[in-house]
Amino acid sequence: MFEWLEYSILSIWVGESLWGYPIMLSIHVIGLAIVVGIFTVFNFRILGLFESIEYIAFVDFFKLAWFGLILNASSGFALFSSQATIFVTNTPFLVKISAISLGSILAFFIQSRLRVYAHDWDSQISKPSKKDLWFARTSLFLWVSAIFGGRLIAYYL
Amino acid sequence: MIEVLVQLLEGSILNNWILSTAWFWPSLEIFHFIGLSLLLGSMLIIDIRLAGFVRRMNVMATHRLLPLAGVGFFINLATGMLFFIGDPARYAVNIGFQIKMLLILIAGLNALWFALKISPVIVSWDTHGDTPFLAKVTAYISLIAWIGVLLLGRLIPYVGSG
Repeated sequence: MFEWLEYSILSIWVGESLWGYPIMLSIHVIGLAIVVGIFTVFNFRILGLFESIEYIAFVDFFKLAWFGLILNASSGFALFSSQATIFVTNTPFLVKISAISLGSILAFFIQSRLRVYAHDWDSQISKPSKKDLWFARTSLFLWVSAIFGGRLIAYYL
Repeated sequence: MIEVLVQLLEGSILNNWILSTAWFWPSLEIFHFIGLSLLLGSMLIIDIRLAGFVRRMNVMATHRLLPLAGVGFFINLATGMLFFIGDPARYAVNIGFQIKMLLILIAGLNALWFALKISPVIVSWDTHGDTPFLAKVTAYISLIAWIGVLLLGRLIPYVGSG
């Protein structure tokens, strides 16, 4: 399957054209900054920083974060497909993919809780629970792990 | 002048140490990426609000994110300087690097303009309303400059010397 992927039109363009790979890398870094940046600011907010920022505002910013994730899934898939057989055995890549999968699933749960509780948290009816604090810490850990894995891929090829 | 700097750096102890320590360069990359996420993440939220969007966010609250943007910037300034010291000949003549530095300068001047002219009057704005035209311009310049910085940084290995 991974060999077949390497010979698809997309992967050949990314792998062999002059600008295919760098263009995909550029999109990938923008997406990364949007995703990790916005989720990090939100997690810090849950953990007690930036107290004047309303939780409800993050309902909007999360939409942007999901857009960033789509940018990264597509550019990431293009980058992956150009060297699929090498990436699937690369340990940092596997760490990165696991961290991103878990991080995205967690972000989905964080978002559902945010949508339910944002109003209560903003009007001080209730505060983020222990569960929310642990979600935030785990989320921070997963996104940093994804960056670790991603940066180390090239050193394990 | 730049040649002298390159020669000076290439003979430095720090340059030798960076190049001879295998784990150091990848560690710098990891911190540089964490820094860029902190910087761009906070700038996105600040600039999107400053451009007049997400009005359910108090525009005064954008101030709270400036320290985080600062932390991201200084992580990247420090790691970036170490990259440069580690491989000065490559960076100094690289057109991608040169344009990236120019964009950082533009973003910096834009931030200075924000600090001197816009930030002091934010108190007089409607906290959950639209923003003045000049504030929007500042926000768009900032967004375009920082996104450009990221793009060019990523292209450094792929573009030649100018």
